[in-house]
This record gives sequence, C-alpha cells and structure tokens, in this order.
Amino acid sequence: MFNIKVRPIELVPSILIVVVLALAPFLLSEYYLSILRMVLLWLALSISWHFFSGLTRYVSLGSAAFFGLGLYMTAKYLEQSARGNLIPLPLPLVILLACLVNFVIALIIGLTTLRIRGIYFAILTFGIAVIANMAVQWWEIRITGTRGTYLPIFDAKTVYYSVLLAALAVLLVTTMLRRSRFGLALRMIGESEDTAVHVGVDASKYKILGFAISAMLISLMGGSFSIRFSYVEPTSAFSPDYSLLPAIMTMLGGTGSAYGPVLGAVVLSLLQEYLRVAFAHHFLIILGVLLVLIVLFMPDGILGLLRGRGTILRRKGWAEL
Amino acid sequence: MLDIIVGGAILGALFSLIALGLNLQYGVTRILNVAHGEFVMLGAYMTYLFSSLILGLNPFVSLLISTLLVSITGLLVQIAIFRRIVNISQSSGELEFRSLLASFGLVFVIQNVVRLTFGATHIGVPYLYETVTLLGEKFQLNMIISAVISVVICLILYFILRFTRTGQAMRAAVEEPVGAQLVGIDIGRVHALSFSLGALLSAIAGSLLVMIYTNITPYIGPEYTFIALAVIVLGGVGNYVGCMAGGFLIGYITYALFKWEPLLRLVVVYIVLIIVLVIKPRGLFGR
Repeated sequence: MFNIKVRPIELVPSILIVVVLALAPFLLSEYYLSILRMVLLWLALSISWHFFSGLTRYVSLGSAAFFGLGLYMTAKYLEQSARGNLIPLPLPLVILLACLVNFVIALIIGLTTLRIRGIYFAILTFGIAVIANMAVQWWEIRITGTRGTYLPIFDAKTVYYSVLLAALAVLLVTTMLRRSRFGLALRMIGESEDTAVHVGVDASKYKILGFAISAMLISLMGGSFSIRFSYVEPTSAFSPDYSLLPAIMTMLGGTGSAYGPVLGAVVLSLLQEYLRVAFAHHFLIILGVLLVLIVLFMPDGILGLLRGRGTILRRKGWAEL
Repeated sequence: MLDIIVGGAILGALFSLIALGLNLQYGVTRILNVAHGEFVMLGAYMTYLFSSLILGLNPFVSLLISTLLVSITGLLVQIAIFRRIVNISQSSGELEFRSLLASFGLVFVIQNVVRLTFGATHIGVPYLYETVTLLGEKFQLNMIISAVISVVICLILYFILRFTRTGQAMRAAVEEPVGAQLVGIDIGRVHALSFSLGALLSAIAGSLLVMIYTNITPYIGPEYTFIALAVIVLGGVGNYVGCMAGGFLIGYITYALFKWEPLLRLVVVYIVLIIVLVIKPRGLFGR
C-alpha cells in the first residue's frame, strides 16, 4: 500500500527542519516558543482538515467537535488520575486512547452523514460540533455537577514537544496516506465521485475511513494541546475557531496541493497573532474583512497567485508544486 | 400541555420568518449566507438605536426604519461581495464554498462593529409586555403580536411569490436558473432583490425580538442562523410550505425543551435534523 520512492537527498531538508524545530526550546524565548507552538498547532489542524475535506471536497466544519473531544477527554483523564479516581497512565497513552475513542465516534458519524453531499454536509458537521459542546456542558451541569476541568501544570518545553510530536505524526501519516492508493481514491472522489464508483473505487469505505482518520488526527492535536491549560471548560475547548480556521487557512493557502494548508496556516496564524497584539479591539473586524478580500481577490489562494502567469513558480517550471 | 400549543406556535412563527429570509436567499442565489443571524441582530440594534438611544420613536416606527436600513445593507453586501463571487466561480461547489467563507468573514465584521458601537451589554426595548392569559398560561402580549405579525408577513410574501411577476421570476430562478435567464429574466436583478428581501425579513424578526427579550447582545446571531439552517434543511431548499412547517416544528421542539431541559434544545434540534437528513436527504418536503 505504501510504495513510495524517496531519494535520500530529498529527505535532507525535512530532517533539517525537524532538527531545528526540536532544538527550538533551547534557542527561543518563552514568548516566541509559544508562537511557534501555535503555528505548529494550526498547521497540523489545517493539514488534517485538508487530508479529508481538501481531497474529497466534502467540506467539514466539524473539526471543533473532534479537537474539543480529544482535548477534553485527555484533560478529564489527567484530572481524574491526579485525584486517584483512575489509574495514572503516561501522557502519550492517554492522548492515544482519546484518539482511538474519537476514531470510533467519527466512524459512526461518518456512517450516518457521508451520504449527504455539498452544503448539507457542511451544515451537519457544524452541527456536530455544537452538539458535542452542548452535550459536554449538559453532562457537567446535570450529571457530574462540576464546571470545567483542572489539569496538572506542565512546563512550556513539555507542552511544546507534545505539540511538535503530534504535528510531526500528523504530517507523516497524512503524507504517507496521501501518496498511497488511499489518497488517490480520496482525490478521485473529490474530482468526480460517480466516476470513482464507476471504475470500482469503494467510495463509501474510503470516505468514511478518510473522515475518521482526519478526525482522529484532529483529536490528536486537541489531546496534545490540552496540557497547555491549567483549566479548560467546554466553550473554549469546542470554540468554532477550531472548525473554521483550518478551512480558512487551507483556502488561503490553496486547496490544490499539500503545500496550500502549510502556507495558509503559517501566514494566517502569524498574521492573527500580529493583529491581536497590534489592534486588540479591531482584530476580528480586520480578520473578517481580510477573509472577504481573500475570497474576492485570491480565490485560488496564495499558491494560485504564485502559480499565475509570469510568476516565479511558473518561470522555474514549478507550477505543479 | 395546552400552553405548548400556543408557546410553540409563537416561537414557530418567528422562526419561520427568520428561516424564510435565508431560504429565499439560498434558494434563489445558491449563496449560503451564514451571516443571516447577524442581520437579525442588526435589525434588533437599529430598533434599539431609534427607540432607546436617539429620537425615542415608537418601536414599531423604528422597526420600519430599521427594516429599510438593513435591507439596503443587504443589497450593498450582495452587490459588493456576493455578486463578484458568483462571477468568479466556475462551479456550484466553488460558489457555495467561497460564499460560505466570505459570509463567515461578514459574521466577524458585523458582530464586532456592533460590539464596538453599542457595547456587549444586554439590551432590549421592552414594549407591550403586559401578560395575557391564553389557554390557562400567561403570555406576554408582545409575543402574541409578534407571532401574528410574523404570520401576516409570511403570508404577504407567499402572495408576492405566487402572484406578482417579480415573485414568479424569483421562483423561476429557484427552479431553473438557466431556463429563467433564457426566458428573459434579469437574473442579476432577481439575485439582488431576493438578497435584500432576505435581509428585510431578518430585520423585521430582529426588531420584534428586541421588543420581546431584554437580553439581546451582539452575539445572538449564530443561534438564529443555526435555527434557520435547521428549518431550511427540514423543509427543503426553496420550499415555502416546507419552510413554514419546519419553522413550527422547530418552534415546538424548542418551546417544549425550554420547559423540560433548556440546555439540550440545540442538541435535540440537530439530532432531529440528522435523523431527517439520513432518511430523506432532500428534507421532509423535498422532492
């Protein structure tokens, strides 16, 4: 299934980047480390989103459900094991368990919703994020009678490495899958689902599995990010930002290639941080206006702009990047 | 039990009004305006502005001014943003995705402009809030009046769509966008008209809401967008009767849950929605 040919020389830049990222905590101040962590988080979320929605063009706006569930399950387990109610497990194991649960949940959701296409699918997935949020709130208020979850404190380096490792895992898994038959099948569903079915691609199997894998990776990011907080409550864990921004970032970068979400996530998350600091009150207005302008004037994203006639990429013959 | 019949119908009438605006916009233009709830909120704040902050007008006079201003805003938004998106998009999938993103941008802009102008505190223009007893349960008079106004406006819209030439052109654009152009309908005009009409309906709804509730904030929009989307999906896109029925169904569900378990009302609405979509992907009344 994974018959990928890579020349060793092609791996050099990736390895260099990984080494630099791994050394970052020793090079950067705490503030810049937190910004790097944020960029990595959004990058991994955008890539996970693109893996399913970008390839199949089933626009999911439900990422927040899986991000929040991953985050909340991990947080809850850590809280309860710290209080002695559950067996203490190593952090990575807790996160992986949360991922597994999310994978199963996403399989069930995929089975019911992936028959629906287009805008209805977007609305339904958005609804799933709302349901997840409300259901957790209801559970806390009515069943356990608590509000929010308290976590043990982790230092900045641990948080950074947790996010970095999860992001690398996301990159590795999506790259391998995208280049396999699996990725081809997803892409073909995006081009024309009828044709795909016609030539013998089991479209529903790939769609449901693709959705579940994407959801699992999103919850992996949620779980690994949870230790950043000392206290979480559902409204922040399930914030619609986690549904919308990965889609917006991918769109900004360009949906046609795997570099799109990377580019979009880096640009938008840095821009967002800058605006938040520089224009605290008007930040969301500027972001909204930018979003409209991107749709109007850069509908194919940054990559589309770079690929246009007479640009650097085209002249160097890299238009198919 | 009897109070659910009245209470649910009151909510249902308002929901139908809100959903009808979005249904008109989406049905005719295929643009999913998720900032629809923000237009409702804008309508509420305009009425608040003219009745409580300046001029001190009767809320129903403010309602008229607010409706006019918001529908002009809707028209400008359509011309400046959505018309361009229609022109640059090659497929319907592209159009839907792009307009979705652009209208999410609008949500941020409208919400925060209102927050910066009016603040984030709860507002309201309480009017006609004495209680009357119907079927053994007390209701605010303004709720009943709002429900009646909503139903009347829905009926007026029905007659416009059904019998006037403009209304027929709109329905033609819903059924057969290409055919409508072939028989000489100016599709650009129809799009602009349906969009501002949608904004108009949401402004009326918003102005009625601000007379009923005193906890209006700049952030009420998304909940009404959710409800409107649920109503449309239940009733089927471009389906007038389906939209009214869906509105009342959601109204009853919401009212019943208000009494029983308010926290779960959106959850139940969405679960109903998922079940309906899985069984009938085109909505309860879809063909």
